[in-house]
Amino acid sequence: MTRPALPWIMACLLLMVGLLAVGLRVGSYETDYALIGRTLLHYDARDPAQLVLMELRLPRLLLALLAGAGLAMSGYIMQAMVNNALADPYLLGTASGGALGASLTFLFLPGLTVAGFYAPPLAALLGALGTTLVVVVVGSRRGRIVPTLLLLAGVALGSLTTALGGLLTFLAATEEKLRTITFWSLGGFERASWATLPYPAVAVGVSLGVLALLHNNLNLLLLGEERATALGLPVARTRWLLLLVASGLTGTVVALCGPIGFVGLVIPHITRWLLGTTGRGNLLFCALLGGNFLVLCDLLARLLYPPAGLPVGLVTALFGVPFFVYLLRRMGA
Amino acid sequence: MLRSPVARFPRRCPALLALLALLAACRPDAPATRVAAEAAAPQHLRDDLGRALTVPAHPRRIMALAASMTEMLYAVADTATIVARTQVCDYPAAALRKPIVSSYPLDLERLVALRPEVVFTTVGITSEADAQRLQELGIPVYYQQYDTVEDIFRGLTDLGRILGRQAPARRLTDSLRAELRAIRALPIPNPAASVLAITWQDPIYVYGQNTLFTDKIRLAGGRNAVVEKFAQPYPALTREYILKLSPDVLIGGSFGQLDSTFFRLYPELRRLPAYQTRRIYGTTDNLLSRPGPRVVESVKELRALMLN
Repeated sequence: MTRPALPWIMACLLLMVGLLAVGLRVGSYETDYALIGRTLLHYDARDPAQLVLMELRLPRLLLALLAGAGLAMSGYIMQAMVNNALADPYLLGTASGGALGASLTFLFLPGLTVAGFYAPPLAALLGALGTTLVVVVVGSRRGRIVPTLLLLAGVALGSLTTALGGLLTFLAATEEKLRTITFWSLGGFERASWATLPYPAVAVGVSLGVLALLHNNLNLLLLGEERATALGLPVARTRWLLLLVASGLTGTVVALCGPIGFVGLVIPHITRWLLGTTGRGNLLFCALLGGNFLVLCDLLARLLYPPAGLPVGLVTALFGVPFFVYLLRRMGA
Repeated sequence: MLRSPVARFPRRCPALLALLALLAACRPDAPATRVAAEAAAPQHLRDDLGRALTVPAHPRRIMALAASMTEMLYAVADTATIVARTQVCDYPAAALRKPIVSSYPLDLERLVALRPEVVFTTVGITSEADAQRLQELGIPVYYQQYDTVEDIFRGLTDLGRILGRQAPARRLTDSLRAELRAIRALPIPNPAASVLAITWQDPIYVYGQNTLFTDKIRLAGGRNAVVEKFAQPYPALTREYILKLSPDVLIGGSFGQLDSTFFRLYPELRRLPAYQTRRIYGTTDNLLSRPGPRVVESVKELRALMLN
């Protein structure tokens, strides 16, 4: 069953504009809408308030938006690919692998730079993709992904990397290192900058394009492997492609924002609950809703605990879970 | 009947015995005196956390679970009574010769094996759960807390009283206070420069208002750029907040070091007056971060930076 997606997508776009407008107002500097308008139309970098708006708040909001979109899409794809409602973007051990990579640099790389590059995001990306690779190798047989094996391998490898991460946390010699690892493993957007925004923007853009082309294949996968094959779907190739898209999205987000939980699990469910299982606008709506959700969570995080804000991963769970439980009860009824 | 030589001894040598007793009485650490000391009433104390504890009248085996506290003990105590140090205690050099007890994670067995009669530490370094466990094992843990430089002097005086070393503690605090008065008598730049001291780059952690740094930088002729009081003594700050603070001086590494790391990570912060005027300095880490008897030395170091 599908419902028209357009009204929902329009509503999401409106909500996004509203959230961005409010988001640009929240921070240590007093700013008003006149200043925001001036900054957007005639940006003057000499004015500190304008600099803050343009260089700090706007990239932060956009990063939250892109991260939310990426994680929600990745979750949607994973749930379809393994045909399991419990799947999320971190199914392949990406979150714990990324956290492990970043923790290693915090503990063992004085200065945190390698050849002039800031290492933690790079190490997180390597950790995330490395873990994914191992999970995929374990979770596939003769070039075909076996969903059950993939799920089990993901859980097992996830536990292993979590344990290794826990070991590093335990060994953290100073309170600052301990706090950094904790802070990082809960996710946040404080490191946002124009220099790094193109990566998630390209990842989300390309993924939306690829998925628009694969839309029918994604829906066929939901019928199960046998029926999908009978209907002419190259199941193995489709799964590999989806896996590549999902891990690329998740890896990019984890590298820049840390592993932000919950959004990739719950947003796809809300999408299907509102629009049905197979709608053409599902993925775009899912991406927009995910983006809005993370912008809202980041806003709440900054309002609740200024100035640095709570780690956004805490807020997604604290506010998202009760809402999700409410939805589950409604769906059950 | 045969009598044992020991039994015969007192009757045969009363004069010798009297002489021995006289000699014993003349030596300050003679057994008789020690017995008297042991019999002295134990001290019932309340530490800076308000915890009640009982410590022997004259503790003869002591140790610290914080690097700053080891420095405090070396400054006041009879160093022969210090039975161990932790893996992070590296000052004074003499401390390096003591056996190591890991403070994190706490090596309970090794600590208990060294039989300290009291353990000293500072608030925020040793968890109260660890202290509770030690108390249950019969080892009292005495916490000190310092918000101001004067608190450290008071801490030294306290240690002197507990360890029966009032005179050396008094001499030390008198000389530290005199040194501090001399520093403060020098002219200070007006208005006082606002100083932001960072302890970690990502996320950016800084010395908050409710840390000893605020008092030290005031005595050095500057002021802590962080005025707001946060729940955490070393709060994480956003770049926006730091731009708003607009500090005149940044402490956390030399200009070259921070230019290639901190300011590369956060290029927007190059607008800060501290960066524009290159007033970015590194300090001796274990001086700035440790609240110990070298606190006046630390104030002096900061003072020199203020005058640059």
